[in-house]
Amino acid sequence: MEAPSLIEEIRFGYGPRMGSPPSPGGLEPERLLAQLTAADPTAAAWNRPSMADRLTLLVQVRQDKMAGIDVSPKSNQSVAMDDLKRIEQDDAPTFFARPAVASLGFVERLVNLWANRITVSNVSQGVGHHIQTFRDEAIRLNIAGRYADMIKATLWHPAMQIYLTQTESVGPNSPVGKRKGRGLNENLAREFLELHSMGKGYTQTDVTELAKLLAGMVTDETGPHVAKARAEPGRKHILGVTYGEGKDQIDKLVEDVAHRPETAQAVAFFLARHFIADVPPPDLVQALTATYLAQDTQLVPLYRTLLQHPAAADPNRQKVRTPQEFAVASLRLTGLTGMEKGMLGFNKKSMMVPTYLTNMGQQPLKPLRPDGWPEVAAGWMTPPMMASRIDWATDLARATGDRADPVALVDFALGDMATPLLRRAVAGAEQRWEGLAVLIASPDFSRR
Amino acid sequence: MPHDLLMSRRAFLIGCSVAASPLLTPVTFAAAPGDNRLVVIILRGAMDGLDVVRPTADPAYAALRPTLGAAMGPALNDFFTLHPAAAGLMPLWQAKELAFAHAVATPYRSGRSHFVGQDALENGTGTEDGGQTPSHDGWLNRALFLMPGAGANTAVSVGQQRLLVLDGAHETDHWFPVAESPLSSQGQDLLSVVNAADPLFAEPFSEALHLARAMDGEKAPKGKLAYGQLGTYVAERLMGAARIASFSFGGWDTHQQQVKTMEAQLTSLSDALLAMKAGLGRVWGTTLVVAMTEFGRTARENGTGGTDHGTGGLAVLAGGALKGGQIFGKWPGLSDGQLLSERDLMPTGDVRAYPAWALRAMFGVEAAGLQSTVFPNLDLGPDPGLLL
Repeated sequence: MEAPSLIEEIRFGYGPRMGSPPSPGGLEPERLLAQLTAADPTAAAWNRPSMADRLTLLVQVRQDKMAGIDVSPKSNQSVAMDDLKRIEQDDAPTFFARPAVASLGFVERLVNLWANRITVSNVSQGVGHHIQTFRDEAIRLNIAGRYADMIKATLWHPAMQIYLTQTESVGPNSPVGKRKGRGLNENLAREFLELHSMGKGYTQTDVTELAKLLAGMVTDETGPHVAKARAEPGRKHILGVTYGEGKDQIDKLVEDVAHRPETAQAVAFFLARHFIADVPPPDLVQALTATYLAQDTQLVPLYRTLLQHPAAADPNRQKVRTPQEFAVASLRLTGLTGMEKGMLGFNKKSMMVPTYLTNMGQQPLKPLRPDGWPEVAAGWMTPPMMASRIDWATDLARATGDRADPVALVDFALGDMATPLLRRAVAGAEQRWEGLAVLIASPDFSRR
Repeated sequence: MPHDLLMSRRAFLIGCSVAASPLLTPVTFAAAPGDNRLVVIILRGAMDGLDVVRPTADPAYAALRPTLGAAMGPALNDFFTLHPAAAGLMPLWQAKELAFAHAVATPYRSGRSHFVGQDALENGTGTEDGGQTPSHDGWLNRALFLMPGAGANTAVSVGQQRLLVLDGAHETDHWFPVAESPLSSQGQDLLSVVNAADPLFAEPFSEALHLARAMDGEKAPKGKLAYGQLGTYVAERLMGAARIASFSFGGWDTHQQQVKTMEAQLTSLSDALLAMKAGLGRVWGTTLVVAMTEFGRTARENGTGGTDHGTGGLAVLAGGALKGGQIFGKWPGLSDGQLLSERDLMPTGDVRAYPAWALRAMFGVEAAGLQSTVFPNLDLGPDPGLLL
């Protein structure tokens, strides 16, 4: 398909990739939306094992454990655990290398932004087995669908259930609850309302009632269902609606909550803030809210409303790239994937992109809190994070910039959007690679 | 128009370098009024309190710790002895500038996960399952709002990641020591110029340079020395505007080879404390250091020369402001029937009470706020008399 224009690559993608010059001209909403139904020729390399495959392996790990085999990751005694380990090692580069080579940058950005709005973090044991498929299946497959379906998929995904300790929750009047004296864990119920959907307009009673409705929900090798032994019997009254028991009732609750005006407002604000400005234009948020409610939570009409707003085409870039966006944009500029070995000045075996990202404040797949990585510039602008961006820029430029034409690269990366000051500074560098370092570490390059 | 570049080059002359440091420890600073200084250290990995401050007079101790307790350290009193690798702290103990709180724990009981435990310790939650307060922030950040006259903006944190304990709605800065940059000074000047021209980037960039200049010529050393360096750096910040600092210190998860690991860990911890005292000089007299860990370890040593995740643990207190030379808390005993689940040191006190009393005595935070906002469901209990 037709290449994106420069502003499309910068604001709605990960920047232009060396060897793939942008189309001339400005923003064309339908060209970006066409990405959502196009095939990315680079995608085949990232076809990772499915959730079902991994759940099957986890069943085998459990069987090994019951047979007395040491299944700890370091023991190398369990074949299934070793398979999982290898798969997860191979998953790791997808966070930076997949967007670094992608042709459909808008698609990659959407995957990352929804995965951040609906966060799982690899900080608790067990989440790591499922993070890749959370992103690939719960998020990626739904970016052009309905928001209601996305939060249904994320709610039922094992990564979310483990991360927000839903697996610990037991209906106090369920058979297990009565026998063992166990009770509800409200973690997922609360964050579903607070972070994944409404953000406001609900009460603690709604949280507790929702926790009752969710008790016993599980996705295992047999698929998503509610385990009777842990389910809380009886009716639950949530946000003025009465629900019964079972999976259908949970899915109905998700539909109801997804269609609420608070959810529309929260999704609209998130999307506008992510792409346009830390304090987004109120008329845009209003327009997005209306579209969301009128279009049955469908996301493509939402993106269209966003892309048709004048702020989407404004050459003045108000947002600061996250460390991942920044590192990926610089890999694209230098034509790398981040998986190269033997790069000058880097560790011989690897460019250690995750370490650099950690130093810039974004340890891959490990946001500190359930509200995800910062969506505003202040979260990434502390002096040590800043120093780490300069480190990355310097190391990358030194490894790749010997024969670079930094002045031409300013044009390629930023076109008319480059400030005269940046052009002079890059041209004034003593060495080619230093000019490239100045470009990558400049505010111009960090803005989108 | 190269003229403005030249001007800017003078204005933003760097004189030193900008690059990441091998010192991986995050340090957080926050400014608060008054002369008192509080340092909160998060000991990650679950420090074995029974090995650091050994209840050698407890009748059950020797049988539980046959190899770990083999090398004797100095006596703290007629009941407890100190780990030999921490013997360098004995002058502090003798000067009553060192104390411990034994058999303490956070309210987290439903599991023994490092991550949940550390989050609970830093969030300050009062729940048994480690579930965080709805704000998902740090107790020290929430406490900043309750300190009469605490500044809103003079805060700097140091290290790769922000610490949860100081993260939240109250503004804090963030920094860590730097090493040498490979960019030529001219390249650095050019970078200064382009960053200075952007209102969003100008301040953090120049702050980075300013702080880098303060560290000029000091390469952060690797290994053991690093924590001494860190202590010195923390002291420097506390001599300036900062009144509260926090950093984390990992490596305490001693499932095996505990003898060797604890020697290195306690040497580093001692280095950090002694470097802070040295760096603070007279100000050490108004300083309190509170070092806490997510939980303790099993009373009985395991089959691999270590200990496993337990419950009751130890807090380390130091500083010239401290009424030291004593072991706070109620000793539960190690004999049959005295252990929790027949395996862990029984917690007899809420570890959160110690930082709570420190916040009250040093920064005037009211008891009501401490027991609700800062540490939900905390029972402050009687004043342990931490401070002089």
